[in-house]
Amino acid sequence: MSEILENPHGNCSLGGANAALTAIKRVIPIYHSGPGCCLQTTAGEASQGSVRLPYYVQYTSLPCTNMLERDVVLGGVDKLDRHIAAALEILDADAFFILTGCTAGIIGDDVQSVAKKYQNLGAPVYAVNSAGFLGESCRGYEIAIKALLDNIVEPKPQKKNTKLVNLLGVMPYHDPYWEGNLEEITRLLKLMNLKVNTFFSHDQGIKEIKSSSSAALNIILSPWLLKSAAQEYEERFGIPSLRWHCMPLGATETAAFLTAVGAALGLEDKAKKVIAAEEKYLYRYLETGIGVQNWRRFSVVGDASTVISMTRFLANDYSFTPDCVIVTDCVFRPDDKERITDALTKLEYSRPPEIFFTGDQWEINNTLARFDQTMLLIASTNEHEFAMSRGLQFFVAAYPNSERLIYNRTAAGYRGALTLLEDIYSNL
Amino acid sequence: MKNIYSGIREQRRDTDTFTDWGGGSIDASERFPKKCLGRADRVFSQGLQCRQTNSVMALLSMEDSVFVLHSPLGCTGCCCMANDWFRVGQLHRGNYAMKNARVIVTNLDNRDIILGGEEKLRKAIRLAYTRYQPKMIFVFTSCSSGIIGDDIEAVVAEVSEEIPSIVVPVHCEGFKSKICASGYDSAFLAFSQYILKDAPKGETENDLLNLFAPPTVSYIDQTEIERILGDIGIRVNYIPFYSSLEKIRKIPNARASSAICKVFADEFMKELYEKYGIPYSHTIMPIGTRNTDKWLLGIAALFDKTAQAQEYIKEEYTKVRPLVEELKSKLSGKRVFICGGTGRSFAAAALIDDFDMKLVGMETPVYDNDTQSDLEYLNRLYGNFTLDIANMMPYEQVNLLSKLKPDVFIGVPVWAAKLGIPTTHILDIKRPTMGYRNLVYLGNKILYQIENPGFNKKIAAHARLPYKKSWYDEDAFKYIK
Repeated sequence: MSEILENPHGNCSLGGANAALTAIKRVIPIYHSGPGCCLQTTAGEASQGSVRLPYYVQYTSLPCTNMLERDVVLGGVDKLDRHIAAALEILDADAFFILTGCTAGIIGDDVQSVAKKYQNLGAPVYAVNSAGFLGESCRGYEIAIKALLDNIVEPKPQKKNTKLVNLLGVMPYHDPYWEGNLEEITRLLKLMNLKVNTFFSHDQGIKEIKSSSSAALNIILSPWLLKSAAQEYEERFGIPSLRWHCMPLGATETAAFLTAVGAALGLEDKAKKVIAAEEKYLYRYLETGIGVQNWRRFSVVGDASTVISMTRFLANDYSFTPDCVIVTDCVFRPDDKERITDALTKLEYSRPPEIFFTGDQWEINNTLARFDQTMLLIASTNEHEFAMSRGLQFFVAAYPNSERLIYNRTAAGYRGALTLLEDIYSNL
Repeated sequence: MKNIYSGIREQRRDTDTFTDWGGGSIDASERFPKKCLGRADRVFSQGLQCRQTNSVMALLSMEDSVFVLHSPLGCTGCCCMANDWFRVGQLHRGNYAMKNARVIVTNLDNRDIILGGEEKLRKAIRLAYTRYQPKMIFVFTSCSSGIIGDDIEAVVAEVSEEIPSIVVPVHCEGFKSKICASGYDSAFLAFSQYILKDAPKGETENDLLNLFAPPTVSYIDQTEIERILGDIGIRVNYIPFYSSLEKIRKIPNARASSAICKVFADEFMKELYEKYGIPYSHTIMPIGTRNTDKWLLGIAALFDKTAQAQEYIKEEYTKVRPLVEELKSKLSGKRVFICGGTGRSFAAAALIDDFDMKLVGMETPVYDNDTQSDLEYLNRLYGNFTLDIANMMPYEQVNLLSKLKPDVFIGVPVWAAKLGIPTTHILDIKRPTMGYRNLVYLGNKILYQIENPGFNKKIAAHARLPYKKSWYDEDAFKYIK
């Protein structure tokens, strides 16, 4: 059962599904929902990661049936049907996804049949059961990936492309750094002569998603998301998954990650070369900044991937000391919690932080308050209040973020290590 | 028996209300009195804004309050936005130890939808109390809680007996209205039914004005408004933005009421008049000299200060006249398209006449009695222009813009900018817009943005709108049926 939450660190499944789908080139969701869901989910999810907005449809330009009382009573299927017919006349898209909100979900409108009707006419219209009460935005991200698997991914790929990998597990617009991070990891994988499907970053679209079933490897950059999708790729297409427990950041983590990718694809030597060259680049800069930044004891609050990534980088590569780490995702499987805990505690030299799982603001603030030695807090806008009340150095790196505009800034790989150190630099 | 207003603007008894229509402004003003605008709907629409969003926006900055949303997580989206305004608003008010609004969501899930969410709501209200001991706990309903039929009133009544906080249900299910301003009404209905209740009139404070202001009024605008009224000897009870239980309780003591936005507290002010005999002024938003004059004179009349206000207006006008003249010389003849909420769009439409600009098109969410009087005024100023009764509907907007080719677009810039049209806005939640002194900022902003459209011109070469080329040749109102 879901928890009562104060100042939640996520939106609903509709918000998550929408943020993911609107990050795909030329894809348009059609909301079959109440009259506020387009705005609520854009304000609460798609714009709360990096402040900017999905490029194609956003806020009140999302098509929506705006279900009213009579639709709730009489059903909204006809209204939806008319909206799709008009959408196909007006809108230019490679695919339309009908997203159901709570209203349609509760009254049980048969949106699948409406979608089928248009599919039979050759129109790329797909139905997705994404009602908000199904869960948090991370659930919505998984629902979106499942919708792509069901409807877009080529069901019978002709042949394997041994150089193609799918890079998954990063939630578009929810993760403030999502696009810059995908760019940095893609850059590194390309150096290993790989072709990378990210589905969501700028020039990727339906074509790349289709081809994902012929990939040689799925790389999932999250300690717990997409368990079922990974299974489905494996079972239907024989594509194994490399689950990496976070967004790789810094020399140690990125080297381990690239080595693992190399091992999975028989590209060990290539990986070694890339690592050597990139480390040279990174440390040429780092040696010009020795001693410029004082040591910090730090705490991190955010989604699982972000907190692991920040903790491991600052502890393993920068000799900062982790204090308290709070995971705000609604992680429910015990083995996922264990994987997250392992990633946060098995550090190279550093002592491990204490780890907590909660997305409730009251609990977060009260937990943080017990760590009075913390000097630097890396968290979300929600924790800004706490940081100010304690005079902590504060840096936003997780959802929700309403104070930093982030385009292609990265907190991944080698370049992201430098950017992050620039960002948290303080001479106070 | 007296008719109690439901808080749904479509159901107001003293006016017809239309939300879907497009055509010529003169035609509209001739049809409306004959009830000939038709009860049309759109067979294709884009997202509206729900009334829960407006209820939350109206109340989220109340002091000493906790806000319980009885909903799935997604309905807290509006809290992200309103919390940002609240936090920035604190900084602007000099409170550097800024706080979050305390939002507790029941996080309704699959199981609650089937079995009911009342127990969770009970828990959430108790939690709000044990954590913060607030004076008020506002409980917002949602589409989900409404459809599954949770008995909010019963839960509130029950928990109210256990805790000293005033628990205030705000009935704001999104699916009940197309007009988001209904959410403002829900908030004020909650004030009157759960906070004021049968509070007596009390002793009238003769210089006190209830000033109802939406959350979209920046702090610098608030101070300008308070300055203007203060200068003619009127004190302000500013509600509900950054307001408090004490201020709400003071409402019956005021001599008169007014609002900064036309669709804000209008029904509530009527109620205050009926219940307490408090007169009110309902004019226009104080944006631009002429609107501010009208707005101020409306209030001054209720305090027997008309002559004083007229004198004051003269003084203020002498100060801003050079600016208005300068703007006029640069902006004269520019063709303008406006898209905004009811209050702002009409204020903007009247404002641009100060600068001798010409209105060619306008989108406004609702057509009712107020619209009729505003529109008759605009028709006299500009003659016929294109009127779209729409809450944005960007697909109609881009179609109209591509045909009307205005020199400037006033409104949310996302879509007009992609067409390369210079854009500006009079909705600036964090910066100056209103009254006399802030006209300097507003006027310069409009002028500078129009004279330097570089960003829009350049981005138009790269940006992508989702509409087919053929759509731009169609009738913009094709889908209003």
